This record gives sequence, C-alpha cells and structure tokens, in this order.
Amino acid sequence: MEESGVNVINLNQCDEEFIKYLEKFGAHSLKECIQCGKCASTCPMALAGLDFYIKRIIHAATLGLKEILLEDSSVWGCQSCNRCVEVCPMDIKPYEIIQAVRRAAVRDESCPANTYEGLRNLYKNGHAVFPKGFEERRKKVGLPEKPPTLTSHEELKKKFQEILKQTSLADVAPFKLD
Amino acid sequence: MKQVGLFLGCNIPFNRPDVEYSARYILSELETNAVDLEGASCCPAFGTMPSIDIEAWAAASAWNLVLADEKGIDLVTGCGSCYGSLNEAKHHMGQHPELIEKINQIYAKVGKEYKGTAKVSNFINFIYEDVGLEKIKQKVKVNLNGLKCAVQTGCHNLWPSEAYPTSEDNTFQPKRLREICEAMGGSAPNYSAITDCCGMGALRSNASDKSLALFKKKLDMIKEELDPDICVIGCSSCLMQFDAGQALLIEQKKLNYQIPSLHIIQLIALALGADIDKLTAFTKVPLDGAINKIKGGN
Repeated sequence: MEESGVNVINLNQCDEEFIKYLEKFGAHSLKECIQCGKCASTCPMALAGLDFYIKRIIHAATLGLKEILLEDSSVWGCQSCNRCVEVCPMDIKPYEIIQAVRRAAVRDESCPANTYEGLRNLYKNGHAVFPKGFEERRKKVGLPEKPPTLTSHEELKKKFQEILKQTSLADVAPFKLD
Repeated sequence: MKQVGLFLGCNIPFNRPDVEYSARYILSELETNAVDLEGASCCPAFGTMPSIDIEAWAAASAWNLVLADEKGIDLVTGCGSCYGSLNEAKHHMGQHPELIEKINQIYAKVGKEYKGTAKVSNFINFIYEDVGLEKIKQKVKVNLNGLKCAVQTGCHNLWPSEAYPTSEDNTFQPKRLREICEAMGGSAPNYSAITDCCGMGALRSNASDKSLALFKKKLDMIKEELDPDICVIGCSSCLMQFDAGQALLIEQKKLNYQIPSLHIIQLIALALGADIDKLTAFTKVPLDGAINKIKGGN
C-alpha cells in the first residue's frame, strides 16, 4: 500500500497468457466485467473484511496479474455462495472466476494445506469431511456405527477411486492415488 | 408409499447424526420411505474437486447422481453445500452435452452411465412442495405454541437459483422456511439480515476469526430485532456455525447471550413427537428455554 492509500498497479506485470489460462478454467466472461462493485456489496468475503475480495480479485484477473492472484489465498475463503452470480448485471458469473483462479492455483501448488487434506479425505474415504469418533456419535442416537455411504462399501469405493483417477486429480494431487 | 433417496453428505452422518436420526424419523412419520443411497460419496465439497476443474467436479458429483438414477429415485439432503454442489454439477452437465459425453466415457470403465434423471431437493423445498404444509399441520403432535423462530435458509439453498429445480419467489426475501415454522404453530417474523451469510464454510476454514465476527454481527441483529426463542436453520453447515460456533463465541467471552439453534429437520422431528434426547443429542447451546416455551411456559 502506498502512503497515499492508493495501490499502484505495474502494468508490466500483466500476463495475457494467464488471462487465457483463467478463461480455459471457467472464467469465460471475464472481459465483460465493468467493475460496478455489485458483487462486493453482497460478498461475505468483503463483509467479513478480507482485503482481497471478489471485485478486486476480478479486477486483478482482468489485468492478468498472475503473481498477485496466486500468492494471495483469499480465493480459498470464498463461500461459493453465488450471491455474486445472482446479482451480477453483466452475467459474468464472478464465482466461476474465483474457481478459475483456484484451479490455476492448484496447478501452481499455491493452495492452502487444508485443500489437500479435503482432497485426500475424499479420495481415501469418499468424504472430504471425515472426523474421528463418528462411530460413537452415531451409536448414541441409535444409528449403525457406519453410514450407508462409501464408508460401508469397500468394493464401490474402489470404483469411485477409479473414477477420480480418470480426472485431473491424478495430475494435481500431492499424494499417491493408490 | 412414497419414497425418496436420503443423501447424507459428510457433516450430518459424521458430525451431527442427531440430524440424520431426525431426518429418518420425519420421513417415516410423513409416510415416505427413506431409501439409503448405498455407496454414496461426498457431494463433493466446493474446496475439493470443483476447485480442480469442471470435469473433475462433474465426475465426482455424477457418482451420487448415477446411484440415484440406478434406483429411479429423487434425492433430498439437509446440507446446503450438497444441494448446491450436486445441482450445480448437474446444471453444468445439462448445459454442456460434451461434458456428459466425457463423464460417460469415464463411467463406462466401471460399467455405469450418467442419465441425469434424478432431482436433487433440500428439506425446505421437499417439505414445502412434495409434502405440503397442510400435511405437516395434520401430523403435528407437539404444537410449537408460538415459539419465536429466527430462520436461516442458508446461501446454497438459495443461489445460484438458475441451477436449482425450484426457487423462492424472491431469493433475497425467502419465505418457505418461515411458513414451515408457522405451520407447526411457531411464529417466524422477517428480519433485515435474513439472507446474510453465517460465515461457515471456506471462510471459517481459512479466516476463522473473521468468519466468527461475521456470524456474531448477524446474531446480534437477530437478537436486537427479534429476540427469538430459537434459530431454525435450513443447512447443516449453518447449523454448526449457529450452534457450535455460538458456543465457541460464548467460551471466548465474545458473546453475552445465547440463542438455541436447531436444523429445520430437528424442529419438525420435535413437533412430530421424536425422542427429544436423540434429536438434540449433539446440540451445544442449551434448549431448555425453547422447550419450556413449547410446553406452555413463557
């Protein structure tokens, strides 16, 4: 931040290839953004006080500021609530731009560790959220120790893992898909 | 007998099985066979496969949608994220036939096919449209006796509306959850922060203090405007913020009041006569005041 409080953007940092990269990952209407700020007025990230919130992320994306976008972890604080998609007057689907930045970050290994934890849980157990002690909790309310999900079906879990192995998870997972 | 596939997700069966108990109880009371989706997976959560690419997202969601297709049933879930992720993946596939083609090339390897016939509902819409408020009124055994409810529909239950099979007339002024509470004898007034985010989810995982501060702001508005007996929640993630998150704020001495919070599934179970110890087994904020009110106290 400059002393005057104005962020100076060095346009030499603009990376047009990165804009195309984001478009490939779902930011199809990125260039249509008019920076009206309607998304920011409803965005929980902005209301919670994250400095780098939806409007600013999209601004950086339209300029192809790759380093800023990949270094900052704000996109991982997005609630995926889609309020921005609902109110955007240009129908650019701002949430899909957040997702495109995440998709670029995953390929750059610039995502928070809990992202990998969720992916690992999903692959190994069929559930991204897989907390310890669930068996006791379930017993307490008279339910079987394991829910009838992949937790109870080893053979189906292998098939589910076969499906996941055919996706880009195989390229980006920092763990072995065995 | 009517039937519906009960899509559990992760948080309900593992963290809040009291909500699963309640869901099974109310479906039975409403003469609906709850079909288990044997071998279901995570929806998947937005921070996982959806953050890799659309194809990875669709491939993982399709696992659950195919299980429903195979049984010829529709799905209902108590988790907003599951409702969002499954419907959004379905919407992407519906808009892009070439994506379905890719997904089916993958699924052919395990002898399965995505057809996209199953509808995915949440409990609010299921009760409102498929069961109907009249039937709820008929089935109530324990009238809520004017219990004042502050409702929280949950963002994924509302947006993106274009991806959903049904929608509130105005998603920024949701009424369905309020009407369900009223059908059971409660009151559920509107309030200015009714669609504000609770802060649970990625924000809570990645910026916990800011997430809880956002939640506290909403709770303060609820307290000031409604001073309700209870918060009634449409999404299991919101429930965890309203209940466990609220308990955490109290423990941190950042909150000097408390409002008990139940999932709408639990509140319906209560009104339909379920075992109160089981239906509230993992509730952290004490419910005594609300129960007292239902029993005729003030």
